[in-house]
Amino acid sequence: MKTLEIKDLSYHKNSKTILERVNLTLEAGKIVALVGANGAGKTSLMRVIAGLAKQYKGSVEVCGEADEDRRKQYIAMTDSLSAFRDSRKIKDVADFYRLVYPDFDDKQFADILEFMNLNEDERLGSLSKGMKEKLIIALVFSRKAKLYLLDEPFSGVDAMSRKKIIKSMLLWKPEEATLVISDHVLDEIAPVIDEVVLIKKHSVLEQRSAEEIRAEQESIEEWYEGFYEGEE
Amino acid sequence: MKFKDNLPIYLQIEDYIYLQIAQGKLQAGEKLPSVRALALELTVNANTVQRALREMTAKGYIFTKRGEGSFVTTDEGLLEEMKSKLLKQELAAFVSRMEKLGVKRESLTGLLASYLDDTREE
Repeated sequence: MKTLEIKDLSYHKNSKTILERVNLTLEAGKIVALVGANGAGKTSLMRVIAGLAKQYKGSVEVCGEADEDRRKQYIAMTDSLSAFRDSRKIKDVADFYRLVYPDFDDKQFADILEFMNLNEDERLGSLSKGMKEKLIIALVFSRKAKLYLLDEPFSGVDAMSRKKIIKSMLLWKPEEATLVISDHVLDEIAPVIDEVVLIKKHSVLEQRSAEEIRAEQESIEEWYEGFYEGEE
Repeated sequence: MKFKDNLPIYLQIEDYIYLQIAQGKLQAGEKLPSVRALALELTVNANTVQRALREMTAKGYIFTKRGEGSFVTTDEGLLEEMKSKLLKQELAAFVSRMEKLGVKRESLTGLLASYLDDTREE
């Protein structure tokens, strides 16, 4: 079953090309890495899928639903929490999520917070980069979605927190849901992904099965770096 | 558990479970952990664990009971065969490393015998 189907997607912003002729299909239940250099268009692609960027051409279907507002119900995307002031507590953010998303599950949120060693009375301003990222992941997996979009969940996060975040993905991703993780490095998520999608020159350059790449005695990192050889 | 990054992970999961069986950590007829538990323990994708179990089932080393999970075979012959495959694999890796060091195949037994002699416990 297809969770995501993108056909001939182009997206321009202020007459600048952001995405050009993107075609991409993702099956249900997969964990997919979305990789590419900074500025390649990974975040823009996620925003288009999530219905946050609307001025695009082409078609984007999530669980067969093309309408931006209607496909939102199937999607949970990470939020940077920049709209919340530092004095806000974790439970205030949860209150907001509960209000905005009918699929937000309180029990699940409490479970993930506990797993992450976070306390709902902590203020956002007192959280380290790693703790904040853990909170963002807890919020996203407390929603019952078909498609989870995690935008660079590991940037600035220490190794121990990265491991914890990866485990939480394995624990709380619903079996039939598809998970897309964008990153510009691949080291730690390589063993947990089914597929890797490479964004370059504003489009999807490659989509490969991770095990297939390894079957050619190549690591996914080597494969990925191969596309940037001779570039600085 | 750290996986090699240039070898399919489902093959490495198979080897990991074979090793557990050969070491007696998993006994003949014993139930394997669930797919999810294995995925968490090894920090890998559940689909990859499933594929490893599928391959092992096809080879007869494990079998599934509907709704109950996967179990190690009780077929002693198959378990012996699995263990000897594992040994062969270790030997192949050893020989290939020695060859890379310039040791000829015909000198291996002599080298090994004298090493075992030198390190023999009294």
